[in-house]
Amino acid sequence: MSNRNTVALSNAALDCPKTFGLPHATAVRAGNLIYVSGLIAIDPVTGERAHGTTVSETTTILSNMAKILEDAGSSLGQVVKITVWLHSMLEQEDMAGAYKPFFPEAPPARTVCGARINYGMKVQIDCIAVSGA
Amino acid sequence: MTSLRETILPPSPGLDFAAVFGHHQSAAVRAGGLIFCSGMLAIDPATGERRHGTVTSETRQIFENLKLLLESCGSSLDRIVQVHALIYDRIEYDVLNRVYRQYVPNAPPARTVWSCQIEAGLKVQLDVIAAA
Repeated sequence: MSNRNTVALSNAALDCPKTFGLPHATAVRAGNLIYVSGLIAIDPVTGERAHGTTVSETTTILSNMAKILEDAGSSLGQVVKITVWLHSMLEQEDMAGAYKPFFPEAPPARTVCGARINYGMKVQIDCIAVSGA
Repeated sequence: MTSLRETILPPSPGLDFAAVFGHHQSAAVRAGGLIFCSGMLAIDPATGERRHGTVTSETRQIFENLKLLLESCGSSLDRIVQVHALIYDRIEYDVLNRVYRQYVPNAPPARTVWSCQIEAGLKVQLDVIAAA
């Protein structure tokens, strides 16, 4: 059973499934790969949802994702595949502008699509990353 | 650490999403014995021009592009492990299935389908993970 482990988070505020009583893990490790659940913009201090613009939500999500990956012994630089859901594809460019600085070199493979997101959030992002540990 | 994750160079100029569309993404990344492809669209592999069409024609173009991409890095369509199939409208689900089965006829990969808005008004996008 040990070939699959839930990643323990150092900041409990980022444990969105726990905060909202949802039946999924924030991140799971299997072998060398870390699978991170779809993240919405969460205030890393209070754990509350941080509704905002496509830009602010993208920035919050990727900052939180960096912390979650660090807890798993990985980092944004080791993300392999990322999926972005936007409330409207008209705001794809806004997301792209906020996204780029988080991946300065060799960006991961990516899929972007427009969808209805829970709680009326504007952005949701999940990822798969590698970890050396 | 660099060998944990290796970006795959686009096999043809049109599949270079960064150059053609200015998108900050790699065509595919190899890690952990798997190839993770970016969401593939119906684009001309030589020029990168979008090939808007029917669900059938777009799906054919997408599989041709995935074939090019996967074979360029030692994988292939029959090594696909998981597919996320994004379509613009669930009413076309059966149309997608009819063309889809032609490209993965035997032991088809795990799959999830959902409908959503796809960039530039395209109708289909396939998001693929394959064994390296």
